[in-house]
Amino acid sequence: MMPFASINKVSKRFGQHRALDGVSLEIPQGGVLGLIGPNGAGKTTLLKAMLGLSSFEGEIDILGRSPRRSRHELMQSVGYISDVGILPSWMRVDQIIQLSASVHPNFSELKAWEILEHTQIQPKQKIKTLSKGMITQLHLSLVLAMDVKLLILDEPTLGLDIVYRSQFYQQLLETFLDGRRTLVISTHQVEEIESLLTHLVFIEHGRLRLSETMDDVFERFSALDAPSASLATVRSLGPLSETPTLTGASFIFDSITADALEGLGERRRVGIAELFVGMMGPDLRSVS
Amino acid sequence: MPIAWNDKEPIYLQIHQYLAQLILEGVIGPGEPLPSVRQLAVEQHVNPLTVSKAMQLLVEDGVAFKRRGLGMFVADDAAELLRVELRARFLREEWPSIARRLSLLGLSLADLLEEKL
Repeated sequence: MMPFASINKVSKRFGQHRALDGVSLEIPQGGVLGLIGPNGAGKTTLLKAMLGLSSFEGEIDILGRSPRRSRHELMQSVGYISDVGILPSWMRVDQIIQLSASVHPNFSELKAWEILEHTQIQPKQKIKTLSKGMITQLHLSLVLAMDVKLLILDEPTLGLDIVYRSQFYQQLLETFLDGRRTLVISTHQVEEIESLLTHLVFIEHGRLRLSETMDDVFERFSALDAPSASLATVRSLGPLSETPTLTGASFIFDSITADALEGLGERRRVGIAELFVGMMGPDLRSVS
Repeated sequence: MPIAWNDKEPIYLQIHQYLAQLILEGVIGPGEPLPSVRQLAVEQHVNPLTVSKAMQLLVEDGVAFKRRGLGMFVADDAAELLRVELRARFLREEWPSIARRLSLLGLSLADLLEEKL
């Protein structure tokens, strides 16, 4: 099957700094890809390249189009929300909805209002009087009302409290994710989206450190909670990381058989957050 | 009702077990429709593809069947099929550790049967 979006050896420099360094990635239709990385890793640069918002070396193909050459056509089927996304503060909610309807061919006013009905947002309210959480809700309703095939979210829930965050993902599930539409999302709050993801990508210093389907992640990595008595044996098996616990330590292993860990502790599925810290941990520490 | 996820098995298998449980308990009877992929995805906060995968397992085992345009329905002999499968699974995966624990505690089958259920 032809991938929905493919990124081939994409690089981007800012002066001497390599923001992206030969990134290649394929996203199938219907996939939900989580892009996880520390600040400054290149997440936003990559997403902006996909949107044709910044220049880059290499090739990007989305729905058979190049964001560099056919940005306008592509934007009919791609939606984008960024952490710093700004809606005109002097406009009223009903005005921005009318404006969106007049500039975007697939925009459904009805759908936008349907989504806003579940929020506290009032049609005559000025955007500048909305809280950060409400602005994100409004932005999401605008993007979802466009009926896009690909949605790109860059840290969409940064700075929102847990109620707004969970409403945000619930809304995505209800109105967007249907197994055909595709979502790319960068975030720090990994646990909250873990169950939505089909693909996981770790990025650091502009390079991909991990790029796997979720099934392969759980196949490849395992976590082991080991009691103090078996620590020495477990360490000799070459774990990826070790975190002390009350009764021993928990370990993450890359490509190890269940047999090798038999009897050494409690084997379980690895969590995305602990895997991220486990893989990036040493580097993150050396930075700070 | 949200499923209490465990961290031992893949999510799609846990959704499969959840549906199997509903069928076994008769909450969804023979010939009745299963919840839609979308409904389950929203309710359980998981990707629709993951739900589809769980549903596919039910179809492969003959527990559910698809009606074009209408969704998934429970097969007439679904409960029996599931019982056979889950019984084998219990003996394979759960019984060994229960048996070990019983012998550790010195409990015999006779002792257990005397206990009120």
